Amino acid sequence: MRLLKLALRNLFRNGRRTAITAAAIASGLALVLMMVGMQAGQYADMLRMGISTMAGHVVVQADGWQEEREEDQLVTGAGEVAATLREAFPEATVTPRLYLGGLVTSTRNSAGIALRGSVPSAEAVVDTLDDKLIAGEWLADDDDRGIIIGVHLAESLQVEIGDRVVYMGQTEAQDEMVSRMFRVRGIFRTGGSELDGMTALATLAAAQELIERPDVAHQVALHIPDAAASPEAWAKAEQLVSAPGRDVLEWPDALPSLVTFIEIDRVSGDVMMAVMGLIVAMGVLNTVLMSVLERTKEFGVLMAIGMRPRRLGLLVLLESALLGVLGSLVGTLFGSLIVAYLVAYGLDYSGMMGETMEMEGLVLSTVMFGAWDFDRMGAYVLATIVVTVLAGAWPAWHLTRLEPVDAMRAA
Amino acid sequence: MSIVSVRGLVRHYQQGDITVKALDGVDFDLEPGEFTTLMGPSGSGKTTLLNQIGGLDQPDAGTITIDGTEISKLSSSQLADVRLRKLGFVFQSYNLVPVLSAYENAEFVLLLQGMPPAERKKRVMETLHAVGLQGMEHRRPGELSGGQQQRVAVARAIAGRPALVLADEPTANLDSKTSESLIDLMRTLNAEHGITFLFSTHDPRIMDAAKRVIRMEDGKITNDERKA
Repeated sequence: MRLLKLALRNLFRNGRRTAITAAAIASGLALVLMMVGMQAGQYADMLRMGISTMAGHVVVQADGWQEEREEDQLVTGAGEVAATLREAFPEATVTPRLYLGGLVTSTRNSAGIALRGSVPSAEAVVDTLDDKLIAGEWLADDDDRGIIIGVHLAESLQVEIGDRVVYMGQTEAQDEMVSRMFRVRGIFRTGGSELDGMTALATLAAAQELIERPDVAHQVALHIPDAAASPEAWAKAEQLVSAPGRDVLEWPDALPSLVTFIEIDRVSGDVMMAVMGLIVAMGVLNTVLMSVLERTKEFGVLMAIGMRPRRLGLLVLLESALLGVLGSLVGTLFGSLIVAYLVAYGLDYSGMMGETMEMEGLVLSTVMFGAWDFDRMGAYVLATIVVTVLAGAWPAWHLTRLEPVDAMRAA
Repeated sequence: MSIVSVRGLVRHYQQGDITVKALDGVDFDLEPGEFTTLMGPSGSGKTTLLNQIGGLDQPDAGTITIDGTEISKLSSSQLADVRLRKLGFVFQSYNLVPVLSAYENAEFVLLLQGMPPAERKKRVMETLHAVGLQGMEHRRPGELSGGQQQRVAVARAIAGRPALVLADEPTANLDSKTSESLIDLMRTLNAEHGITFLFSTHDPRIMDAAKRVIRMEDGKITNDERKA
């Protein structure tokens, strides 16, 4: 189409100006894509950590435990639930977990503790605590007297591998004090103050014995290899193990505060990027307006020889659209290269922040990897083109209001 | 039927407190095939009259009929269509589109008219040949002399076969030799192709070539003379 050809030639009439404006669009978009990639990577990391340590892709819990977290809100028949899930999902890892709060004492000191009773070999698959051991060994599944604790807890109790500690808590009915002696088998360091200072891991059987309730758990978590398949896994699990008094939840429902945090963070990111888009749009508006004003006489001539004002407006819109497409192509190319780098190598903040950082109760690596979020990136590329076209709309409208004789009088 | 019929045309401008009567009740007709020039001192209303006839400006009072269409009440898009189908323009400062070649400048009007490609190509080549620009089709305005640019402007004005070509001081920026050859060209186009021309000019050579001279002063026609 000829209008397209004319628009292209007009753009390259002042090549330097076009190049500078396209570069502004491109660098703005590349920066936005980089931020989207970083956010996507961070969210993926948070979700992965949240799912692995706080829940699973699908969790089976007692009705109400999600909101209240009372120790007596238990899933009964946890062994059978776990066995059913293992049979139905042979590729998956199933971790029945019992969370107990209490006091732990050594010969020298005592401290508050959050004890997680679970299947150690399964936790080693889904959690990263086993990789963070700085002393001792990971717990064996039948080691009902062994306990793994965080480094700060070990420091405050002044205990080492092999030392004895005593856990003190209450029975499930909360009517009696109970205690149990453990030996420290391993000490981990995650960098997270809560995990390192309060968390301990023992076997599920040990925790069940403590509260004198065999075959119970607060949560039976199913971890599947492909997170994208969790809706189907949830539907299947729901069918198999659903029972009165039990909740079968998919991870977004099991981790509502994390999901909300990510949503809020994403929206605030969008707001920031919209502000940046506005700044770029102002630059584009300036360019298009300048190029329209300096060609006012030429537009007058085009109207004089019979071009309709609306078609002239379309020409200007087309010029801005082409500018937007050009800037977006270059921006997408560079933005994608940056994201590809972030996906492959990440950004290492460990020199500045140490090896880990804590966010929303999760311990995350300070080597931050990016991730591809094609939907969101595509939306930003599209938005860039739309914003550029909109920036040309006012100059285009201005043109359609001109009388040819006034336009031709312009210098 | 007249190609142009102007009745009671009035156009006033406000300059501060002063009202300038650029056109103050003009009546005249232009017949097909005429080669007419508007003469008069600066500010006499020549260019304003051409702009009015060309539908580039709105009158305060009066009517203008171009080839049977009364244009003073038309919308801007309808006026654009009248200019596209019935009128051609040649301006003092050529006013070509700088990013288009001579060929493309001449072709532009035909594109807007929606002429099929094969016919369009034939017409553009014929027109460029008629104005003596064969071999220069692909040059852009910046690569052409003033006289050549004005020839492209004439080609653009006549390519769409308009009923009337309006030329506002077409030789004002040209040297005398180039001016003469341009006037010859337009006279030939008038004689051989029957294209009607209406000029505004100070150039005595155009006056000599014209078959009809209309003199204006203070927004009025003071003399209308047809040569034998």
